[in-house]
Amino acid sequence: MALFTLENVSVAYEKKNILEDFNLSIEKGQLVSLLGPSGCGKTTTLRLIAGFLEASNGKFIFQDKDYTKVPVNKRNFGFVFQNYALFPHLSIFDNIAYGLRLRKISKKEIEKRVLNMLEIVNLRGFEQRFPGELSGGQRQRVAIARALVIEPDILLFDEPLSNLDANLRVNMRVEIRRIQQELGITTVYVSHDQEECFSISDQVAIMNKGIIEQLSDPATIYKYPETKFVADFIGFKNFISFDKRIDHKDYIELEKAGLVFTIDRHEHMENLNKMIGAIRPDDFIMEQSTTAIPTNGMTGTIKITTFLGRSYQYVVQTALGDFTINKEMVQPFKNGQEVTVIIPKNQMVLVE
Amino acid sequence: MQEKHRGLALFTILVFIFLLGPLVIISITSFESGSILKFPPEEYSFRWYENIFKVEMFLITFKTSIIVSIAGNILALLLGVPAAYALSRFHFAGKGIINAIFVSPILIPGIVLGFSFLRYIVVTYNLPIYLSLFIGHTVIMLPFIIRVISSSLANFDFSIEEAALSLGATRIGTFFSVVLPNIKSGIIAAVMIAFLESFNNVDISVYMTGPGVSTFPIQMLLYVENYFDPTVAAISVLLMFLTAIFMFAVERLMGLSYFTKR
Amino acid sequence: MVTLRKGSDVLKKRYLYLLLLPGVLFLTIFLVIPILSMIGTTFHDEGTFSLQGYIDFFKDKYFIDILLTTLRVSLLTTFICILIGFPVSYYIAKLPSKRKAILLLFTIFPLLTSPVVRSFSWMIIIGKNGVLNKTLLSLGLIQEPLNILYTPNAIIIGLIHLFLPLIIVTLVGVMENIDGDLLRASESLGASKIATFMKIIVPLCVPGLVIGSILVFVGSFTAYTTPALLGGKQRVISTFLYQNAITLNDWKLASIVATIMIVITFIIISIMNGVAKKLNPKG
Repeated sequence: MALFTLENVSVAYEKKNILEDFNLSIEKGQLVSLLGPSGCGKTTTLRLIAGFLEASNGKFIFQDKDYTKVPVNKRNFGFVFQNYALFPHLSIFDNIAYGLRLRKISKKEIEKRVLNMLEIVNLRGFEQRFPGELSGGQRQRVAIARALVIEPDILLFDEPLSNLDANLRVNMRVEIRRIQQELGITTVYVSHDQEECFSISDQVAIMNKGIIEQLSDPATIYKYPETKFVADFIGFKNFISFDKRIDHKDYIELEKAGLVFTIDRHEHMENLNKMIGAIRPDDFIMEQSTTAIPTNGMTGTIKITTFLGRSYQYVVQTALGDFTINKEMVQPFKNGQEVTVIIPKNQMVLVE
Repeated sequence: MQEKHRGLALFTILVFIFLLGPLVIISITSFESGSILKFPPEEYSFRWYENIFKVEMFLITFKTSIIVSIAGNILALLLGVPAAYALSRFHFAGKGIINAIFVSPILIPGIVLGFSFLRYIVVTYNLPIYLSLFIGHTVIMLPFIIRVISSSLANFDFSIEEAALSLGATRIGTFFSVVLPNIKSGIIAAVMIAFLESFNNVDISVYMTGPGVSTFPIQMLLYVENYFDPTVAAISVLLMFLTAIFMFAVERLMGLSYFTKR
Repeated sequence: MVTLRKGSDVLKKRYLYLLLLPGVLFLTIFLVIPILSMIGTTFHDEGTFSLQGYIDFFKDKYFIDILLTTLRVSLLTTFICILIGFPVSYYIAKLPSKRKAILLLFTIFPLLTSPVVRSFSWMIIIGKNGVLNKTLLSLGLIQEPLNILYTPNAIIIGLIHLFLPLIIVTLVGVMENIDGDLLRASESLGASKIATFMKIIVPLCVPGLVIGSILVFVGSFTAYTTPALLGGKQRVISTFLYQNAITLNDWKLASIVATIMIVITFIIISIMNGVAKKLNPKG
């Protein structure tokens, strides 16, 4: 059952539509990430849900009620900001209690809830301190506590970990997921960090220029990206635009420039519009040049060699273009060397 | 290199003697016991300090100045703080013109402002003097309030407003509970600067004097035209004393850099 | 369309104008309309458009004299303030922070003191029986007391005293912002301290100099208290305006004088904006 839905919404900024006829539905209790590059509209979508933005068209339906015109301060959605937005003049206790005090809750009850929340975010003992005295990670936890303590229907995160250093980010995202699952609170999480989103989400929406390119669970997206954009975003660096596609019972035949490739058929590739093949750099087979070219193979020449640490990365020139291929080798290939490149049948994904 | 700096240092000292000397001299002459201003004084006494309190007009006009400056300050705050907030927070059509209007009292010469105010408002509508002073001083204090508060808000992180809203606060509630407390020192500095400008103002107040009514600086001017005794010197010392306290307070609140910023 | 600064919100027009309206209304009623009305009347004679008032003004030698005297006084004041202020600011800007702070304190203090107090203090000094004359006579440097008070020179001295702190504060601020690295780079490339001063410091200070000069010029041009106390019968344009407005009750002439003052002020400020923009295109 969808908890809320954005229906055909359009949001404009300075005469340009950032979102146009945008649709998104989220189930109760899920953590859904909006992932994408800067300018894709993910933050706009989040702020629209929060109520900081008004849509020029469309509806926002929450629990089957039309919430489109409901102002921010009446929505009861918790919002966690990228820069924490803690009130500098209030103590940690007062920061967290702020929302509760507006709801006419008894002093005793407020104290109980605030202390309980501090316990949940592991900041017990910090009640009387001030935001200025806290580290980034601590401040973020206060921001989360402040948003959670009002028992919101939806929790919204706007790139909450971008300002923290790498180690802290990993720890914090685990914390956020833990709290979210413990409380079962429906959450929308915006980030540009793929690993972050994939590691904590039930569903990920990959956005590009105001459009959701794919909305799915992380595992599916990782293995079966739907579009070239998504594939590129998650690490498929190599693309072949095929000219012909013939679907057989168990396999699909693809042809370009006289070369024919066969790949295993999979339900995710049923869409006949998918004519582009995508392969990860790690998924090729590359050997020294042989006289006989095996199935799904082609000749290639090494153009550039880079040492990545755990492997070598090669740019290989072939009849179908340049490919980026990673290979561990005891004895690496050299520039100019002739090689045979093979695409295994189960390693190429078809995208639009 | 050393010589150049020594020469420059000497020059600087001379300049500061020029700047501060007159103030020192006037302080010393205030203690002259005779009834003519002279330097150096022949005998010393506090007589002229006492005289300040004997001249009724000084006491009356001092009270008038204080009341006008405080009342005008309050009105300027009521008008200026929301305006400064709106100007800092939003972009909108016509912002340039509105900005220009708010800064105009500083750009237009006070002596001109006072005259047009007198001719078209005070005389036309027969405004009582106190009211005229009140309005006139509010006009000159308003740009200072707006400028100082805008400067406080220039680097303000407005996302805390959004945070407050998301937690359920109203817009007005947000302003009072979250914005205002964080520009407190800016407001205090604005009030003090505006007060000083108003209290010391001559250009506008000079048009609004009547029988028995005027502001303190105007009274000083009138007194000097008729009496050349050390009373005004004594008043000057007391005023400088108050200015020093004022400077100290602002420095505590906003730091010395406040005065050097443009 | 009204948008929030971060460009991501739409605020109902109601709020915005409510915040601005009281202030704008207040100033419009009590400042904008009176000023515009006053300027308007100067172009009318018996109900029709006419420049007669201005023609008569500029034909009168006495009036022109006052205008020119005021301009001369203002220009001299500005020039001397820059001449004295620039080296002093340079010296102060290079001081270690404790001494710098003290000197700045001494600079700012006079700025906050009432102009009445400051101008009055000069009356004691440059009067016929004032400190200056007494000292010079007793030292035998002059035979007769110098006649300074109530002449344009007295006004100039008073105005310099009034505005010098302003120039110093402005320029110190500008010089402090000059990146020390620029100076070190210049010297490491072989420039002497003087060359560095002329080629790097001076040009970088030009915007500050321009702004400072204009503040001083406009301030001097429109000053009232200082010329009123130190100028005696010698009129400048602001005391002339007051005289006509109140003493002589010639509102027509007063309005013309006032309008001329506004026009000159605005022209100069526009020049300042223009020059400042040209020198600093990044704003």
